Amino acid sequence: MTEDTSAYWRKLLALDQPLPADPLMNYHSWLFSFNHLIFFLFGLISRFWAPIEAIGAENVPIKPPYILCPNHLSIIDYGAVVLPLPGHIRQFLYPLATKHYYDNPLSGTIIKMSTRAVRIDTMEDFFPALRAAAQILRAGKSVYLNPEGTRSATGELLPFMVGVGVLAVELNVPVVPVYIKGTFEIMKPGEAKINPGPIYVAYGKPIDPGDYIKLKEKMQAYDVYKAFTEELRKRIKELSR
Amino acid sequence: MSASLPEDLEEEVRELASKVLKLPKAKVTLEADLFTDLGVDSLLGVEIFAALDKKYGIDVPEGRLRDVHTIKDIARLVRELKK
Repeated sequence: MTEDTSAYWRKLLALDQPLPADPLMNYHSWLFSFNHLIFFLFGLISRFWAPIEAIGAENVPIKPPYILCPNHLSIIDYGAVVLPLPGHIRQFLYPLATKHYYDNPLSGTIIKMSTRAVRIDTMEDFFPALRAAAQILRAGKSVYLNPEGTRSATGELLPFMVGVGVLAVELNVPVVPVYIKGTFEIMKPGEAKINPGPIYVAYGKPIDPGDYIKLKEKMQAYDVYKAFTEELRKRIKELSR
Repeated sequence: MSASLPEDLEEEVRELASKVLKLPKAKVTLEADLFTDLGVDSLLGVEIFAALDKKYGIDVPEGRLRDVHTIKDIARLVRELKK
């Protein structure tokens, strides 16, 4: 089958619509002005209780747009992935945060203080989440998303959602694979207890979607997105130890 | 160029879905649940509508995608949208 169905996907992502005058306005909270303080505190906590060994941070591009894609083990993953990177990256990195955490008074305040988070509702409808991410990338910024869609309850890598492939291929933005280990043991799902321990973060070389874009001439769009997503999963697995 | 609807639309939708899903047509029955019986994820479901959009020129409102669970539902929706 050689159906190029990407036009429909582009319509769903509203890629042919003009960007609003200020496409990022909804994600800027005054609380974010505390991000330097919050990351200073994260740094202190990490130094004494959760030392981070970071490998390949130089693979993360200095300039946006790109998608930063780590596996997902714990609610503290974002801090562990971003802390070893240059501070200015936080200024243009927009993580997708589920409404469960975003709407919670405690976690929501920490999220808004430390990130330019985008509130998403993946259970109800993921298209608005994909469109929000597409809009951020079109505005020249970067997106942080967990391709597993949820935290792994066992620490093992889960199957990946194809949405990351849709974004990368349709917007032609590179994806940086990131492998994280240790945060699961520090804060397990459903537990409020913090167990001190080491964290390992490995950043892989960005995956260019160029070859996959060409594949759309021969394959249906979904299969191209899926192939890209599988490559990303493979690369994250290769970074594991 | 969008085609007009055939009388045996259900059969055409079955044919198209079996190609998109890469499943034997015998498995893609009118009543089979796309998600539980055929293992379709939400985005692969979109691909069926993308193919329908291309073939029949129907613009499926995003909110209606969630109403569809079987081939029969798809055919019903296509007829409704083509009216």
